[in-house]
Amino acid sequence: MINFEEELKQFKPSLEVEKIEDAIVDSDLTDMADIMMNLIKEGSESKKRNE
Amino acid sequence: MSRFTDYTEKCRRISNSFYNAGLEKARIRDLTGASQCLKRSLQFDKYNTDARNLLGLIYYEIGETAEALVQWVISSNLQQDHNRATYYLHELQGKPGRLEDESVHIRRYNQALMQAQNDNPDLAILQLQRVVDHKPNYIKAHMLLALLYLEKADYTKAGKSLYQVLQIDKNHPKASWYMSVVKKNTGRADIERRRLKNAFSHHQMEDDDIILPPSYKENTGWQMVLHIIAGFAIGAAAIFFLVMPSREAQLHEEHNQELNRVLEQVNQKNMEIDRLENQEAVVQDARDDAETRLQGMIQEHAGVLAQYQTLVRILQAYKNEDFPTAAELYTGFDASLIDEETMMAIVTEIRTDMEERGWQVLADQGSQAEAAGDHELALTYFRNSLNIRGDNPQVMLDMAMVYKAMEDEEKANELFGQIILNYPNTEQAAQARTERGY
Repeated sequence: MINFEEELKQFKPSLEVEKIEDAIVDSDLTDMADIMMNLIKEGSESKKRNE
Repeated sequence: MSRFTDYTEKCRRISNSFYNAGLEKARIRDLTGASQCLKRSLQFDKYNTDARNLLGLIYYEIGETAEALVQWVISSNLQQDHNRATYYLHELQGKPGRLEDESVHIRRYNQALMQAQNDNPDLAILQLQRVVDHKPNYIKAHMLLALLYLEKADYTKAGKSLYQVLQIDKNHPKASWYMSVVKKNTGRADIERRRLKNAFSHHQMEDDDIILPPSYKENTGWQMVLHIIAGFAIGAAAIFFLVMPSREAQLHEEHNQELNRVLEQVNQKNMEIDRLENQEAVVQDARDDAETRLQGMIQEHAGVLAQYQTLVRILQAYKNEDFPTAAELYTGFDASLIDEETMMAIVTEIRTDMEERGWQVLADQGSQAEAAGDHELALTYFRNSLNIRGDNPQVMLDMAMVYKAMEDEEKANELFGQIILNYPNTEQAAQARTERGY
């Protein structure tokens, strides 16, 4: 059976047209390539530190 | 670095695979599944423009216009050339008032959500009804409306909203769940279950079993008549809609072919007419030319004949010793048209005689006519005399005096001038000067 209160809580407001700019600025555009690049960079830095 | 390139290439491939899966799902209107695949695709490659644009389209399709705009703006920034997102943005922003309308509906939904969460479901329902009236593809509004109706146990209205959602997004999980609740409460679930059971039930049939369709009924007499009439009507309709168009098309085709044949014949006849007209023009030209030449020959021969006649009349006048008449006839005689050797000798003799005394005879006749007061006749004689022998100042002076008598000063002065100029030391010149008043 549907729990009305629980279901209602799961509804979220829609993004309003006036707030598009904020949404674009806040967008997380990190993809897998960016993550790997960071990992490679961190790995090489730690290697240098150990040496 | 090469390892990184390999990873990037792998990520790009995975992203493409997710995009393809998303596209397939979108094509069968599984929009929830499609958007999940596309989000995953963008996690692997944020530069996958097609995936981002399709995600924007899906947002737009489910009524989330602002979310769609976000994706398209990001897409057009990541890839500025040859990007379909630019067209989508132009379409949305190009029409005045469209974005404002979208904004109003989205804000109204957000208000309705707040009212629903603050124990004001009736007001929320009113707001949501207005939203879905103007924006029937707004899935979130439909879903919230369906939930509110379910809470009020108004399963029919909830079912209508859920049906709309499932038309847009066929595999929307929550809508499917809500719909199952609606069906359960309206008895629709039992009906569907029975139908499904009948469709897939298997039992061993006996030899005597007869499968009767549920719609089968024994026909009565009236029903049979009605069926026959209906059969005729269907047959007539089939002829009208199936046979007639093809027959009509065939007739059109035949008519067109006939028309083409007739036009071809008309064309050939026109060409024949043009050819005949050209021939006629050529023949007409030839005939005109021949007529002109014939006319010329006739005139030429007539002229020659007339000169011979004049010559005969001159000779006749000589015979009658009527020299004045001979001189007068000679003035209208054209000796150049006489080309016979024997006649030429006669003509030469006459010419010599006329130059010796013919001019004088004519001048005398002119003087006589002037004395008789006939100026015109006098002028004719003087003119003929000058035609035989032009070098004659006395005749010119006599002629000038006639003009003066006729008060034609201009012609008289012209003749006086010629005498003064050409014969300056003669008596006639002195007289002419006197006449001119020099």
